[in-house]
Amino acid sequence: MELIRILASRLKALFGGRRLDAELDDEVRAHIAMAVEENVARGMSAEEARTAALRAFGGVTQVKEQYRTRRGVPLLEQAWRDVRFGVRQLRRAPGFTATAILTLALGIGAVTSVYSVVDTVLLKPIAFRDPGRLVVMREAEEETEAGTRVMPDNYRHFMRLMGDTKTLEGAAIFDANGASVSLGSDHPRIVGAVTASPSFFRVLGVQPILGRDFVDSDANEGAARVVLLSYEGWQSFFQGDPRVVGRTLMNGGQPATVIGVLPAGVRFPDISIAPSLVTQSSLGAREDVIFEALRPNKFDLSADNSNFNYRAIARLKPDVTLARAQGELEGLQNAYSQSAHLPIRLGARLTPLNADVTSGISGALWLMFAAVGGVLLIACVNLANLQLVRAVTAERETAVRAALGASKSQLVMARLAESLIVAIAGGVGGVAFAVAGIRIFVAIAPGNIPRLNEVRLSLPVLLFAMALSVAAAIVFGILPALRSIGVQPQRALQRNSSRTASARDGGGTRSLLVGAQVACTVVLLIVTSLVLRSFSHLLHQERGFDTSHLTLAQVDLFSPQYGDNSLKVEATKQAFVDRTLTALGQLPGVQQVAISSAMPMTGETWIDELSRPDHPIPEAQKPMVNVRFVSEDYLKTMQIPLLAGRNFADSDRANPRVALISEGTARAGFNGENPVGRKLESIIPDGQQPVTVIGVVADTRINGLKNTALMVYVPYWAFAPWTPLILVRSTQASDALIPEMRKTIWNIDPTVAIPELKSMDEQVDESVATDRFQTVVLTSFGGAALLLALLGVYGVMAYSVSLRQQEFGIRIALGSGKAALIKLVLVQAATPVLLGAGVGLAAALLAVRWVQSLLFQTPVLDPVSIGGSLLVLLAAATLAATIPAMRASSVDPMQTLRME
Amino acid sequence: MVLKTLESMGPLHGYGIARRIEQVSGNALRLNQGTIYPALLRLEQRGWIKAEWGTSESNRRAKFYSLSRPGRKQIEKETENWERVAATMARFLAPSN
Repeated sequence: MELIRILASRLKALFGGRRLDAELDDEVRAHIAMAVEENVARGMSAEEARTAALRAFGGVTQVKEQYRTRRGVPLLEQAWRDVRFGVRQLRRAPGFTATAILTLALGIGAVTSVYSVVDTVLLKPIAFRDPGRLVVMREAEEETEAGTRVMPDNYRHFMRLMGDTKTLEGAAIFDANGASVSLGSDHPRIVGAVTASPSFFRVLGVQPILGRDFVDSDANEGAARVVLLSYEGWQSFFQGDPRVVGRTLMNGGQPATVIGVLPAGVRFPDISIAPSLVTQSSLGAREDVIFEALRPNKFDLSADNSNFNYRAIARLKPDVTLARAQGELEGLQNAYSQSAHLPIRLGARLTPLNADVTSGISGALWLMFAAVGGVLLIACVNLANLQLVRAVTAERETAVRAALGASKSQLVMARLAESLIVAIAGGVGGVAFAVAGIRIFVAIAPGNIPRLNEVRLSLPVLLFAMALSVAAAIVFGILPALRSIGVQPQRALQRNSSRTASARDGGGTRSLLVGAQVACTVVLLIVTSLVLRSFSHLLHQERGFDTSHLTLAQVDLFSPQYGDNSLKVEATKQAFVDRTLTALGQLPGVQQVAISSAMPMTGETWIDELSRPDHPIPEAQKPMVNVRFVSEDYLKTMQIPLLAGRNFADSDRANPRVALISEGTARAGFNGENPVGRKLESIIPDGQQPVTVIGVVADTRINGLKNTALMVYVPYWAFAPWTPLILVRSTQASDALIPEMRKTIWNIDPTVAIPELKSMDEQVDESVATDRFQTVVLTSFGGAALLLALLGVYGVMAYSVSLRQQEFGIRIALGSGKAALIKLVLVQAATPVLLGAGVGLAAALLAVRWVQSLLFQTPVLDPVSIGGSLLVLLAAATLAATIPAMRASSVDPMQTLRME
Repeated sequence: MVLKTLESMGPLHGYGIARRIEQVSGNALRLNQGTIYPALLRLEQRGWIKAEWGTSESNRRAKFYSLSRPGRKQIEKETENWERVAATMARFLAPSN
C-alpha cells in the first residue's frame, strides 16, 4: 500500500518535473531568506548573514539533486532522456539512420513475406491434427529381379493388416480421382473425388462443420449413397446453403445425398500412388472435392497378387516409432506371403506423411530456407557494419560525456537507446514490407498455385527475423560502446581532435564485414541466376510439337450411357468422338481437329510395359511407355513429324490394331532395329491381340517440359477414351473459339462435362507454374540481397567520406584533383568488395553442387550465370561507392577547414 | 524527529523545522539544514505529512508541513517502540541489586 503510494507520487513527479523544480527553488529561496532575516536580527551584517545562512544550509545543488533523485523514477527519467538524445543524434546522421532502418526493414520484410507464402502454399496442407503421427502406407514386392518394388495398396492386404496391427491407431484406404457432379439440371462439372474407407477423417483428425462424418455402415453394400463436401464444394454447388445436409446431387449420373461439409482449408495433399512414378495430378490443386465412402468391389475382396490400386494413410499410436510400425507391418506381410503361398513376397513401406508430400519439393524448400538465411545474414552483417561505423563518431561523444562525469552505465544506456530506436523503426518498416510483399506475391503468382488466398503473415518467422536483426542492431551498437568506455577520455579527446584519424579507426573490421556481405550476396546471386537460366531454358527448348494456335477441350464422358466396358458403350463413345470431330471441323477458321486420351503436361499417364511377342524382354528391363488413343489427324494438328513408316489412315478403321511409336520408344524397345512391321503386346485394354507398329514419330515433351516421353499411339477406333482431349488448331484466337467449342460439344451431348477448355499455351504455362514460382521467389531473394549489399557498401562509404571531410578539404586545398579523390574513395571501397566477391565465388562453387538437382539442363558452372552475377554485383558496388566519392570530390575546402 | 517536531509545533516550514531540531538537540545535531528537504519529501511520499503553500510570520511565501493522520499513528507506533526499547535497555543498564 505504502509502496504503491510512493510509486504513484514518484510517477506523478515524472510529468510535472519543471513545475516541481520551480517549487523546490521557491522553497529553498524562502529558507535562505528566513535564515538571513534571523541572522540579521541577531546583529550580523547583510553579507555575513547570507554567508552564514548558506553555510548552514549546505550545498544547494547537492540538496536539489538529492531531492530530485528521490522525487521521480530516475531510471525512467534517464531512459527518456536517452531516447530523446538518441533521436537527436540519429537526426543528425540521417544517412546512417535511413540506411540502418531500411536494411532492417528489407531484411525482415523479404524474409517474412516469402516465408509466409512458402509456409501456406507448401507446408500448410499437412496441417492435420498431430501430423507427426500420420504416415503413408504402401506395399512392397520384395526380392524381385529389380530389387524391392514399392507399390500401391491392395484392399485385401490392407484389411488384413488392420485386423492384425498393434502399432497403428487407425488407418484408411482410399483412391483419388475425378467425379462428374451436377445438381441434376445443369451441365455436370468435374470435381476432385476421394473414395475412402469411412475411417478416413477419423484418421486425419478432421470433423465436419455441418452434418456428420462417415460411419462404417456407409460402406456396406446396398447402403444409401452419401457424400461429404469440401468447404469449397459446398460453396460452389450450394452457395454455402446452411441446410445442405440431406440435399441430393448427381454423382456420375447417380443421385447421392449430402451428409456433411468439411471445414475450410481441409484438402487432402497429393500422395503419389507410387513414389517412382512422375505423375502430376490436378487433384492437388482442386479445392472442390467430394468424398465418398469406399465400397470394395468383388475384385477388391478377392485379388491377392494383383489389384494394387489404392493409397493408404495411417496414424501411429502415440508412443510407437515409425521403425517399429514398419517392422511390425513388414513382418505381418512376410508371414502372410508364406502362409497364403503367394508367388510374390510382400513387404510394407511407411513414410511420414509430411515427408511424402514434400518429397518432390524438399530440395526447393531447403534452397528457400538457405536463401532466407542468406538474406538475414546479409542484413545482420550490414547492421553490424553500420553500427561499427557509427560507433567511431559516438566514441568522441562518449569521451566527452565521460569527461563530464557520465557513469559507465549511462554511457552504455545512451548507445542502447539509439540502437533500440533504429531497431524498432526498422521492425515496424519490416512488418510493412512483409505485408506489402505478400500482396505483391499473391498478385504475381500464377493462378493454379493452391491456397494463395489463404496466405497470411507468418508470425513466428516475423518474430524470429525481427528478434535476430534487432539483436544484431543492439549487440553491435553496444559492443563498440563497451570498448570505448575502456578508453581514457583524455586520450580519446586528444586523438579525435583531428577527424582524419578516426576514419581509419576500426576500418579493418568494417572492411571485413563489407567483404562478408558481398560474399553472401555473390552466392545468392549466382544461385538465383542459375535458377533463372534454368527456367528460361525450360521454356525455350525444343518441345517437339507446336503449341501456338492450339485450343484444348477436355471432355469427360461420365454419364451412365458411357458407363461400362461393353461393346455397345464402346460404339457410343466412338460415335461421340466422331460427331465431335466433324462438328468442330466445321467451325470457321478451324484447320485441324484431333483427339488424344490425356491432357498434355500432366505427367505420365496410362503407363504400360512394352512387351514384344517376337523378342521377350526381361521383366526388369521392359521400358515403361505412355499409351495414347488418338485420331488420325493428331500428328498434323500437333505438328509432330513422322520419321518412318506411315500415319494412321481411314482404312485402319476396320482393323485398328496398329500403332505409331515415338523415337525414344523405338530406341528403348527395338535396340536400333527397324520397328515398322513389328508387333507389341497388350497395349489395348480389352484386347489380347497384339498391335502392329506402322510408323515412328519424333519425340515430344508432351507430358511435361522437363522430359521427352516414351509414347505409343493407337487409333481411338481400337479404344475410345472416357476422357477424350480434343485439340483444335485454328486461325481464330482461343478466347473467341472457346465459347463456340463449348456450344458445339454440348449440342452433341449436354450430359458430358467439359472440365478444361483453354489454349495449349496456357496449359504449358501452368505446367511450369511451380518452377516459375520458385524462380520468382529466388529472384526476389537475390534482389533483396543485392539491394542490401548496395546499401551496405553505400552506408559504409558515405559515412567514412563524411568523417574524412576535413581530410578531403585539405587535399583539395593542397591541389588534389576531383578525379584523384574519386579514385581514392573507389579504391578504398574496392578492396573489401573484390575480396568478398572472391570468397563468395569460392563459396558459390561449393554451394551450387547442392542446387544442381533443381536445375534443368543447366550446368552448375554456367559461365553466363556466374560472370553475369559478378558483373551485376560489381556494377552495384561501384554505383554505391560512386555517390560518396562524388561527394568527397565536391567538398568545399574553406568550409571544412573552418568547421573544427 | 521531524514528526515529533510537527506534533509539538503544529504546521511549520522547512526552515522552522530545521531550526527547531537544532534547538531541541541543543545544537548536538548540526546537520546541513538543506538535508531536511529530501527527508521531508520522503515523509510526504509515505503520506505521513502534508504540505501546502502558506505565508510565514515574516510575510514570506513558504511551504508549510503538517502531520497527517497516518503520521500521527506512526508517531504513536514509533514512540511505543522506542519506549519499549528504552525500557529494556534501562533494565539492562540498571545497577543490579
